[in-house]
Amino acid sequence: MVCSEIILAVKKLFPQFSVISCEENYADELIMKVTPQIFKEACLALHKILLSSVVMLFALDEREKTGKFVVNCVFLNLRQSKWITVSIDIPSETPYFDSLAQNMYSSSFFEREIWEMFGIEPKGNPDLRRLRLHDEVWPQGNFPLRKDFTKKVEGSLGEYKFSRVEGKGIFEIPVGPVHAGIIGPGHFRFSVAGEPIINLEQRLGFTHRGVEKLFEGRNCVEAIRFSECVSGDAAFAHSLAFALACEKICGVSVSGEAAYLRAIFLELERMYNHVNDIGGIATDVGFSFPAALSAIIKEGILQLNEKLCGSRYLKKINLVGGVSLNLDENKKNSTRIFLKNIKYDFSELTKILFSSVSFMDRVDSTGVLKKKTAKDIGVNGLAARASGIPVDLRKYFPGVYKEAGFKMAIEESGDVLARLRMRVSEFKESCRLIEEFLAKLKNGEKINFSPVLKEASALGYVEAWRGPVLYWLKTDSRGLIERCKIVDASFCNWQGLSYAVLGNIVPDFPVCNKSFDLSYSGNDL
Amino acid sequence: MKIPLAIIQLIFIILFSPFLSGLITKIKNTLRMRKGQGVFQPYLNLRKLFLKREVISETASWVFGVAPFVVMASVLTAALLIPMFIGQSPLGGAGDFFVLIFVLALGRFFLALAALDAGSSFTGMGSSREMFISSLAEPAVCLVIFSVSLQFGSTGIAASFGMHPVPVSLLVAGIALFMVIIAETSRIPVDNQETHLELTMVHEAMILEYSGKRLALIEWAAYIKQMLWFFVIAQLIFPIASFSCCNNFSGLISWGMWYLARIMIIVIAVAIVEVSLAKMRLFRVADFLGFGFVLAVISVICAILRI
Repeated sequence: MVCSEIILAVKKLFPQFSVISCEENYADELIMKVTPQIFKEACLALHKILLSSVVMLFALDEREKTGKFVVNCVFLNLRQSKWITVSIDIPSETPYFDSLAQNMYSSSFFEREIWEMFGIEPKGNPDLRRLRLHDEVWPQGNFPLRKDFTKKVEGSLGEYKFSRVEGKGIFEIPVGPVHAGIIGPGHFRFSVAGEPIINLEQRLGFTHRGVEKLFEGRNCVEAIRFSECVSGDAAFAHSLAFALACEKICGVSVSGEAAYLRAIFLELERMYNHVNDIGGIATDVGFSFPAALSAIIKEGILQLNEKLCGSRYLKKINLVGGVSLNLDENKKNSTRIFLKNIKYDFSELTKILFSSVSFMDRVDSTGVLKKKTAKDIGVNGLAARASGIPVDLRKYFPGVYKEAGFKMAIEESGDVLARLRMRVSEFKESCRLIEEFLAKLKNGEKINFSPVLKEASALGYVEAWRGPVLYWLKTDSRGLIERCKIVDASFCNWQGLSYAVLGNIVPDFPVCNKSFDLSYSGNDL
Repeated sequence: MKIPLAIIQLIFIILFSPFLSGLITKIKNTLRMRKGQGVFQPYLNLRKLFLKREVISETASWVFGVAPFVVMASVLTAALLIPMFIGQSPLGGAGDFFVLIFVLALGRFFLALAALDAGSSFTGMGSSREMFISSLAEPAVCLVIFSVSLQFGSTGIAASFGMHPVPVSLLVAGIALFMVIIAETSRIPVDNQETHLELTMVHEAMILEYSGKRLALIEWAAYIKQMLWFFVIAQLIFPIASFSCCNNFSGLISWGMWYLARIMIIVIAVAIVEVSLAKMRLFRVADFLGFGFVLAVISVICAILRI
């Protein structure tokens, strides 16, 4: 969909629509500049046309150059495989814009984020509680992502207000942020009537490290190691998304061997995480035999990772413009043999799980996330596909996946079992894909890359094992990062979990949680 | 005769009971292709806990402090009610099977109370669940006892001790009791001793606020209770005569072997059940224990029909 088409389409729904500028800065990106007055209507119209939830909504502080803030709202056009951005300039004297949250829930958390980080108020958003800067530590009036922010200004501290469910026999169970297992910190406030959960409120942000701020001012070619630390279990996907954004800015497109290698490692990351989650689901329902078997398979993959690239968690592979290593015949063969063995183990594992009545009873129809709810919240990735929403970036932006004949898995029921089945089919598909890519891998293709650093912005995206990882990057003329906005699939999917557990009993929460398996650090940034 | 017997029996139960738990864990780990901890780990855990300092909730009253001792006292009393080596129990005449149940229930009652006393939301949740489960388990145990008493013509525990043919009624009663004991000893599929998930726990949630010596007492009491029930099941399904009827040394050895072997059979059965099943959804426990109850009813009918 080119500019003129999309403007026409929006005008049909919203006659007053006009753009200040509209450009296709890359083959897969389109950016429309509009006035703040029509921002809300324009976004709602796009939402209706594209049937896309808000994928990203973030602000930039450009007061030094233009005296304005910029707010970008990104939609995904699946039919034409294009990211469509609506951009507005907000004068620094009047830092507010019209909230979209009342009409599109998916924008709600992004708006809260903009409010706490930039102090730009989304007018009309009923819930402006802070997500990451906890009131108990961060005084009001600190906006860390503004360029003129240097250090925390002390002031009066507040307290977070949980939404309360009141009534006869309603109890509150506070859980966390420190949990009994070795997992990330997050606070969960259950309101229960006996065992069934009436409401679940999550309070995250305990691992907020200011990642986006830390990216700023770094050389975009060197900052890639940094992106590996955003979410440890998706280190490769994050660095890949970052690299892709950088490469767009520098004007290189990676194809051939490096692209295959990237796909191989991306699928390896998917495999070890999926099998880990399958084991986790088994552990959480007390089914220890398959849990032990999954642990063996996962360890096998991690050891293979180490053999192939020297890092169990696939770090230090991606570079801007390519990959840092090569697979020789020896490594390729051992990977093939390994995959063959693991397929057998994995089919044993699934056989045990799916033929156990006691296990199936626990996962079937537990933690149902309805398709409508998932769409409204903007749930994406694996959790969305398990609820019957066919979104997979590997399908819509295929690249090398096209040659391998990628098949997207999908489930309809949206329960723990559906997410489990998704993981099983994706694991198998990943196995197949890796074999295909290995066969296509030719030695000797070298990439000559000299980065052309310039002032530009671009979106890098990858379908990681949880769902899409998005990096929106803007650099200045020296190639230093001005703004890096990261959206991990966890950010939207945590909301999905809140709705999936409603009506389930408290002891089933851990298994629901594990079936989503979301990242704390990827969400808290 | 009675006092040395009581001493021997108590020492045997107290010292041997943690071993059974260690053994179950070892078997489970072997089945799961894991090396796992040694069989003596429960002893080391107890030692560790006895050496540790205690942290006691600020809201706790005297109930919290006293409960572990009541629990320990109740299981030790129960231990003295059961004939273990010869055809009489050290506290013989002081109580029958029903007393055994209520003595153990006293311990559980105090534990549930102490859990509420601690004022944590998890422990309260634990006691509510524990009471839910035990309210389903106790009727089944009572029926089992009813069936056993019909068989032997007495509710006295000592009456069931000794060599006797195993009729269908006892066999069914033994199986029913086995199902209930899985709930009583908080094992899969009713509860999960290994879990770290506060939200899914039952027994573990109840004792979450305990630490140090008091926790050690509670754990030890749980080991002893488990062993007592295993022994009762073993006596119903694999009856054994008093050791005093072995007239020579080799007879005594083979008696001892069989004595332990039947406990091992139950231990292995428990371990296999734990590894091969997933934990049930909480409200499914009612179905599971309901099934145990129905088995107990069948065993009563068998006992009436004398089969």
